[in-house]
Amino acid sequence: MTKCDFIRDRLAEYAVGGLRGRVRARVEAHTRTCSECRAELRALERTGELLDATAPQEAPAETWEGIQERIALHPRGERRRETRGRPKLGWRPKLGWRPRWAWVMATAAVVLVLMVAVLLGPLGLGEPRLVVALEADEEMQATMEGHLSAVWAAPLSDMAALGLQMASVEENG
Amino acid sequence: MGEDRDEVRELVVRAKVACRARSGDGEAFGALYRRYQSGIYTFIRSQVREAELAADLTQDTFVRAWESLPRLRKEGAFRGWLYRIAANLVRDEVKSGRARLEVTESTLAGEDGSRLPEPAGKEGVPEEMLASEEMKEEVRRALDSLPAEQRAAVVMHHMEGMGMSEIAEAMGVRPGTVMSRLARAREALRKELSRYVEGSDDEV
Repeated sequence: MTKCDFIRDRLAEYAVGGLRGRVRARVEAHTRTCSECRAELRALERTGELLDATAPQEAPAETWEGIQERIALHPRGERRRETRGRPKLGWRPKLGWRPRWAWVMATAAVVLVLMVAVLLGPLGLGEPRLVVALEADEEMQATMEGHLSAVWAAPLSDMAALGLQMASVEENG
Repeated sequence: MGEDRDEVRELVVRAKVACRARSGDGEAFGALYRRYQSGIYTFIRSQVREAELAADLTQDTFVRAWESLPRLRKEGAFRGWLYRIAANLVRDEVKSGRARLEVTESTLAGEDGSRLPEPAGKEGVPEEMLASEEMKEEVRRALDSLPAEQRAAVVMHHMEGMGMSEIAEAMGVRPGTVMSRLARAREALRKELSRYVEGSDDEV
């Protein structure tokens, strides 16, 4: 490998600022005396200048309108409706896209169902009236939703509270 | 294209306040959008084939950024963080098979008249050279011929003015890898654009 070959192999790296120390000094010393390598370095630098002077492309005007609509209608952390003609990427039924609270709520819901199943006895046939009450009574559902986070944080203590709530439903029902 | 970090930091702080208040007040966030939309769109467009998909992913990038703003600790690092969101969305899209990491159509300005490259300005690049439509087309074609990861590095570095570390963070690679991609891209583009970059001006 000639000296010029060694330098040429490193000119692009030098041009993007990637060389340090002795190799950098060697490239600089060589290009001061070798006109061919200097011309090659200049061509690489002009390529960079050409790219620097190339402007990026503007996003379509309606992009910001869509963002505003999605932000304004649906504050962060909530699911939003479609705002464009094609299915939005954000709404794909894709597990990786769900926020952390959704997993917490889903887990809490599973725990709640298991607790209800235990309280109703084997196969859930003991007190069908209670299941009907859980599904039909909106106030009860709201109470249950309120329990979800507590169930997650402290299932044992909430279990007691749930038992009291169910007893109340039975008395009222 | 440099960035005023203090100004960006202030905008990000204001946007975070609006986000936390769930007010939907997009004034500061709008300023951030105006500042970065072209870079993000061009980056995404350089990675996926369809313009419509690129626009959708640009929208998703900023919506995701809005949703995640409260978790951004370093306000001054907003740009790299934003590009990381965009890069992740592109990666997800490619994994899903809805997009390919190759392009055949142009990824840069001017083709549809949306925005022309800034003429002159840069030392060593004659105005008449940049004003040449033929040359702009050549630059676009040359860029499109690069591998996707090199194209991404070129867009972030040359068009958005991002440093090696910032690009590395956005792309999830080491700064040395970014440097290497830029060097390989520079070499390839120098050959593709030889008629524009070779000349008697060899003064260093």
